[in-house]
Amino acid sequence: MLALTWLTPFAGALLAGIVLPPLLALWFLKLRRKPRVVASTLLWTRSLADLRANAPFQRLRPSVLLFLQLLLIGLIAVAIAQPESTGAVDTGGRYVLLMDRSASMQAKEQIDGATKTRLDLAKDAAIDRVHELLGGGFFAPRAGTVMVVAFASRAEVRVPFTDSITDLENAIRAIAPTDEESELGDALEVARAFTTNVDPDRPDRAVAAPAILELYSDGRFSDLAQLTLRPLESLVYRRVGEAKDNVAIVALAAERPADRPDDVQVFAALANMNLEPVSVSVQLALDGRARAITPEPISIPAATKSPDGAEFRAGTAQVIFRPIEQPRDVVIEASLLRKDALASDDAAFAIVPPAKKLRILLVHSEGFVLASALESLPVERVDRLSGEEFDALIASQAPLGYDLVVLNNYSPKSLPTGRYLVFGAAPPLPELNVYGAQKDVWCRVTRDESPLLRSASLDELFVANAVASRPSKAWEVVAEGPDAPLIMTFDSGDTHAVYVAYDILESNWPFQRSFLNFVANAVDVLGHAGEAITAQGVRPGEAIALRVRAGSKDARITGPGDVDASAKLDADGNLVWGPVLRTGLYDIAFLEPGQEERSSRRVASNLYSSAESRIEPLAEIRLGVDAVNAVAVTSERRASVWPWILGLGLLILMLEWWVYQRQVRV
Amino acid sequence: MSSTKSALHRLDDLIDGRLMAKLDQLDVVSRKIFSGKLHGERRSKRRGQSVEFADFRPYAAGDDLRFVDWNIYGRLDRLFLKMFLEEEDLSLVIAIDASASMRTGTPDSFDYCRKLAMALGYVGLSNQHRVSMLAFNDQGVQRISNLRGRRKSSELASWLLRLQPEGGSGFEAAMKTAALSRLGRGVMIVVSDFMLREGYEKGLNMVAGRGFDLFALQVLSPQQVDPTREGGVQGDLKLVDSESLGETEVTVTPALLRSYKERLDGWCGGLRQWCARRAVTHLLVESSLPVETLMLDYLRRRGLVR
Repeated sequence: MLALTWLTPFAGALLAGIVLPPLLALWFLKLRRKPRVVASTLLWTRSLADLRANAPFQRLRPSVLLFLQLLLIGLIAVAIAQPESTGAVDTGGRYVLLMDRSASMQAKEQIDGATKTRLDLAKDAAIDRVHELLGGGFFAPRAGTVMVVAFASRAEVRVPFTDSITDLENAIRAIAPTDEESELGDALEVARAFTTNVDPDRPDRAVAAPAILELYSDGRFSDLAQLTLRPLESLVYRRVGEAKDNVAIVALAAERPADRPDDVQVFAALANMNLEPVSVSVQLALDGRARAITPEPISIPAATKSPDGAEFRAGTAQVIFRPIEQPRDVVIEASLLRKDALASDDAAFAIVPPAKKLRILLVHSEGFVLASALESLPVERVDRLSGEEFDALIASQAPLGYDLVVLNNYSPKSLPTGRYLVFGAAPPLPELNVYGAQKDVWCRVTRDESPLLRSASLDELFVANAVASRPSKAWEVVAEGPDAPLIMTFDSGDTHAVYVAYDILESNWPFQRSFLNFVANAVDVLGHAGEAITAQGVRPGEAIALRVRAGSKDARITGPGDVDASAKLDADGNLVWGPVLRTGLYDIAFLEPGQEERSSRRVASNLYSSAESRIEPLAEIRLGVDAVNAVAVTSERRASVWPWILGLGLLILMLEWWVYQRQVRV
Repeated sequence: MSSTKSALHRLDDLIDGRLMAKLDQLDVVSRKIFSGKLHGERRSKRRGQSVEFADFRPYAAGDDLRFVDWNIYGRLDRLFLKMFLEEEDLSLVIAIDASASMRTGTPDSFDYCRKLAMALGYVGLSNQHRVSMLAFNDQGVQRISNLRGRRKSSELASWLLRLQPEGGSGFEAAMKTAALSRLGRGVMIVVSDFMLREGYEKGLNMVAGRGFDLFALQVLSPQQVDPTREGGVQGDLKLVDSESLGETEVTVTPALLRSYKERLDGWCGGLRQWCARRAVTHLLVESSLPVETLMLDYLRRRGLVR
């Protein structure tokens, strides 16, 4: 059944109200009469004057003409009300269209045999909405203004409040998809900034009624729990899409086994967002060439959902590929050999740095504990120098030739740029401010998220004698005693250092497993400093930040989504570019000092978001205590009916003219 | 009441020989005695040389001695002159309404008027009167003046046949023109329907006060007299005034017809009374009445001809 929407019902009703009664009155008062020429109407006029005074109305007689005229005016009134085929329409007022462009909005939807992304559907629906709100035609009572905000993890105003349909349409069409996670809070804040006018005399009070917020999304937001609607604020949630089927790669890791550093081992975690189990094969490609495929499809159990839908647990499965020999650096791509609605999470990338064996210099090698710990690590070699020899080496200004220098309770007069693991005596690094010693201290506070403390708990650490220092902000404290830091890191330019402010022999650390893990972590972090970020990758919405050799220049970034941009490098070689919008591989090329050929590094960006991978649109979103029910957005465009009605009216007009002519001719 | 095309094209259409022969016996009656211009067959106010004695008056030096009454001189020894009446011609002026309203009715009122005018004119010509005719409407006044003698009948007929009724009546202006023209005093017959929006009083006053022996011949079509006759009005109509083209929408009902007839009687009665007060003879003629009957019977009885 055809559901009609009236764009300008008031205008149509007004016309009908104004025209129909006079028409009826005309028919009451007036009859079509045959003309007849008489010598003079003088006497007739005077005769009528008496009669008319008594009877102004005549009895309404059935007439085809009257019926046709009523029908014609009725149709014109209906046409002026501008009926359209679907939906409800509001006009006037201020509207903010919040366009979700997060990763889940790239889910593909099948609409009448055609495939469209949710973002495309949302854009179509938003454009239709703009036409509804502003394209009311000549008879629309008043046009509103509309603002467009595009958001994912961040929000940006695409066009401020305007009544220009062209500007709004162009702004909506220009919204590009991203692979970011979706957060509504930022979008609401941006919208509120434009919709709330604050009286300068009463800054605590808004003087303008907030606009109506219309959200075009599938409702998957990671920050809904923290959001509430303010008084007088209204949100219309226009749900986009219906697809549910999705299987995602939610993690991809590649490691070189400690005992076989030339090999690469790849781990992948898969998540099934469907309520039925699925089987999927996973392909592994190295540098774009397929190298392995799971011998059998991986069965992933169905996702589970509580009856009220509040709790959802995706079915998960892990894939471990056999180690592949790959001594060079390599880009690993894992991809699902199964088509589902969302393609962004069907592939994941990881970058494995080249197999690198470290050369370590241990200075002041009296401590056998440290030496044996270092030698137990898979490094190329561990050389030993005394303090004097190390000073002479520094004085010669020759390259040190080591990936890491470990200073064991020895403080040289100066340190060249390099990477240092320092125990005991304070190193000659800037802004450390040593002011004394601390005795008999327990480690109180630790930053457990630091890679240095991976599998290294310092809860049992007791230090009999430690250096007391007050480092500046250039230092980052990893572990603290009651009065002063115990472990801290320093990163400045090409100098990276980890300082343990006590002699390990003055503590119970050598007897704890955390010591060996700490040493291994420190060697790993310092030995591969500058490469770590590249290997770890960035999430969509984050910025690529990496450090290259100081003095490098002319950095250029290419990546998915036709990204081809230049990035600035500061004097220390810090490069920051972003945010990254799409998942995939980003190649950063730059010119190192003294080099003629451009060096490059690659950064992988993966979705890894269970919130975005769960693409089933929400029927309602809940902001605090307010539940906002979805209004489904369909792909069908609203068709104007009024031109047809007007055409019918024209036909009736012609029929009326024909009937009239026939009557007059008699 | 629809307009019809004229059926008058020749002299015979206006007046046939048989009617002429009958009209030869008639003469126009004037209730007053007017001075004529030429010697004629009608007694004049002037003293002249006819055989009919009029009066005596004392002799004055220079009088023609042929008219001295010597018998009285013998008896009274004083000189008296005998005076005789003069016989002169009569001026007959016929004014015809040539407005569009006359081109209505069945039979056509204007054709009827022209026949009537021709008949009256012929009577005038055959009695050696000076016959003048005016045809008036809001375009102006057409006239033919001072025709005398039966031989002028064809000239008069040709003039009448050329007339075309159109526009409004221009009655007042036409009467003013007639009053100021040198047509000579005499009998004036105004032929019209007198359905004048501006009223007939002013126009008639202009000629009634100028010494004319005035006749107002009101010619109405049968449909004007009785709208229910064939060709009249019936049902729901938009009546269009033939002169002003103004429209009046009517639904013909018995009540309306009654009202119309009352109005018509009132209008004609008003005209009659107005004429009676000013010694103007009002004659109401329905155009369905044959001209012969009208001339030989009706007008005779009403004293216009004898």
